[in-house]
Amino acid sequence: MDIFLQQLINGLTIGSIYALVALGYTMVYGVLKLINFAHGDLVAFSAYVGLVVMMQLSGAISSSVIIILLTFLVTIVVIAISGVTLERIAYKPLRKAPRLSAVVSALGASLVIENGIMLIWGPRPKIFPADIVPNINWNIGGVYIGLMQLLVLVISFVLMFVLYFFVNKTKLGTAMRASAIDQDAARLMGINVDKIIMTTFIIGSSLGAVGGLFIGMYYRGIYFNMGWIYGLNAFVAAIIGGIGNIPGAMLGGMLLGIFNALISGYLSSSWALALTYVLLIIIMIFRPTGILGERVAEKV
Amino acid sequence: MLRKGLLGVLAFVVVLLFGVQAAMSDDVIKIGVQAPITGKFASEGQSIDKSVRLIAKQYNEKGGILGKKIEVITCDDEGKAVKAAICARQLVDKGVIAVIGSYTSTCAEAAESIYYKAGVLQTSDGTSDSLVKHGYWTFFRNSSPNSAEAAFTAEFFTKKQHYKRIATISDYSTFSTDLTNAVIKNIKKLGGNIVYSGKITSGSQNFTPILTKIKSFNPDVIYFGGYYTDGGLIRAQMKQLGIKADFVGGDSNDNPEFIKLAGKAAVGAYLVNVPLPEMLPYDTAKEFLKAYKDAYHETPASIWTLFNVDGLRAILYSIEQTKSLDTKKIADYMHNKLKNFPGITGPVEWASNGERIGSAYMAYRIGDDLKYHIVYRH
Repeated sequence: MDIFLQQLINGLTIGSIYALVALGYTMVYGVLKLINFAHGDLVAFSAYVGLVVMMQLSGAISSSVIIILLTFLVTIVVIAISGVTLERIAYKPLRKAPRLSAVVSALGASLVIENGIMLIWGPRPKIFPADIVPNINWNIGGVYIGLMQLLVLVISFVLMFVLYFFVNKTKLGTAMRASAIDQDAARLMGINVDKIIMTTFIIGSSLGAVGGLFIGMYYRGIYFNMGWIYGLNAFVAAIIGGIGNIPGAMLGGMLLGIFNALISGYLSSSWALALTYVLLIIIMIFRPTGILGERVAEKV
Repeated sequence: MLRKGLLGVLAFVVVLLFGVQAAMSDDVIKIGVQAPITGKFASEGQSIDKSVRLIAKQYNEKGGILGKKIEVITCDDEGKAVKAAICARQLVDKGVIAVIGSYTSTCAEAAESIYYKAGVLQTSDGTSDSLVKHGYWTFFRNSSPNSAEAAFTAEFFTKKQHYKRIATISDYSTFSTDLTNAVIKNIKKLGGNIVYSGKITSGSQNFTPILTKIKSFNPDVIYFGGYYTDGGLIRAQMKQLGIKADFVGGDSNDNPEFIKLAGKAAVGAYLVNVPLPEMLPYDTAKEFLKAYKDAYHETPASIWTLFNVDGLRAILYSIEQTKSLDTKKIADYMHNKLKNFPGITGPVEWASNGERIGSAYMAYRIGDDLKYHIVYRH
């Protein structure tokens, strides 16, 4: 039983990181019907930016809580700006072009960011300092959970709850949902769709930045092409949950993490990755719109 | 036609004369260095070249060998097989009696048959197992082959640590799979008990699922035959999951980044590799490193330089002992009579196929000071 619970916690930790990243994919898809392949690389970029900021701050400030807060703040701002810039340069000029052009542009942007990271920081992995978050570990009846894991879980859940509330209960969120359903109709209602798209990129990139910082602070080793592996998993998570659907991305991320952990734990770690994609195919066959479905898909 | 033929004959005679003269010139002993002086492995190649020149200088200051000075001739093989064969011919033509090199197995192998046909001794640090399988009496490997690491690891597990329940992890790369499988095979041969062996995807970072599974097998050691980027995280996540088992990493975990990645969790981890130059416990090693530092104001590029130096020292010693420049005699001495020669990298002697006997592999434990401490060696 404690093994099962341990696998559940293992899965939830990585799953909530997937979920944070998946939100970026799903929100952009919801509004633009575009798969932003560069999102994973923005996540990797955020880990590098976070590391630089953290190293600079740790020389100047002694309190690690303030260092962490400032690191998150600065990184989120930088990545949000990068996300908006990405949209301006790579996607906005192609908004009227066929879908394929935008997807190719997204792949191109992904390669530019990935190789940019390599050129700036080099191909060798970079490592986050060990002692920023105290290395506290609790043993609850044979199940181990660390402080950083707990932080990842709690902050992810809080962020997702805030996002859900924002999208469903605020005016801006309503405008966002309206733009996702029908951009022309939204425009006729007086919604500035360009501004909504920008907001979507800001929020998606910010959540991705948090995900990237979690990867850096929890796993500590970051490398220039890690955006690909996290991006792919998060993308799969978004599809499992129903791409375009915000609670779907959260659910998909968690499910993917837990599924992966349980497969490794009870079947075979060698097969975990392959079986994850089998799961994806099965879900696609029986529920093409993902588990929670996507509202706007019916339009097409 | 006739004139051309005559010219050819003339040229041949001239070359022969010069060649013979070079080989027979009795005031110097020519030693060749075939190494990657430029290219990807330049730092290694240059380090080998510098070391050979240093040793030659030391001998020459004492009056040389058999009353002759040592002359070093270097050829840059750039780490490429094609260039290696060209180098081999050039060095043979210049009349060397022994060649140090090359750094890479590929280049050493490309040159092997040329040295063999010319009767020129060759000593290389190449680790590929195939190097000693051609039956060339001229070839002497001065390092340990790839297969030695697995054998050493298995011995460390069963004879030193007495592990009863062993779990292994590898990634999907050929290198890691081969090494880990070889370790498993050797452990089983020595009667060890493998309770689990699994694979991870390199770079996936989250290894808690497989580690949690391994924990349920209750092993007393987890062996990882992959790279430090994953190994450091595996070690850290083992601690985080409260796994008490030891961690033993294969040679590719031996990197300063391993300790940075694992953080405090690195303490108590074991690594198996050939030692760093500064960790060699032998007096000859300390003397050589000091001389190298005095001469070049830096340390040798890696342990591989020192293996080559041992190859050279053994050859020079054998020349002194046999009082002969006949390579056949020297090789015979090295194969059969040279025992326990005090090398920089440990005792040096060779099997009849040119394989160095005994392995230079060592097991280290990372101590509380986050430094390596040797716990086991031959």
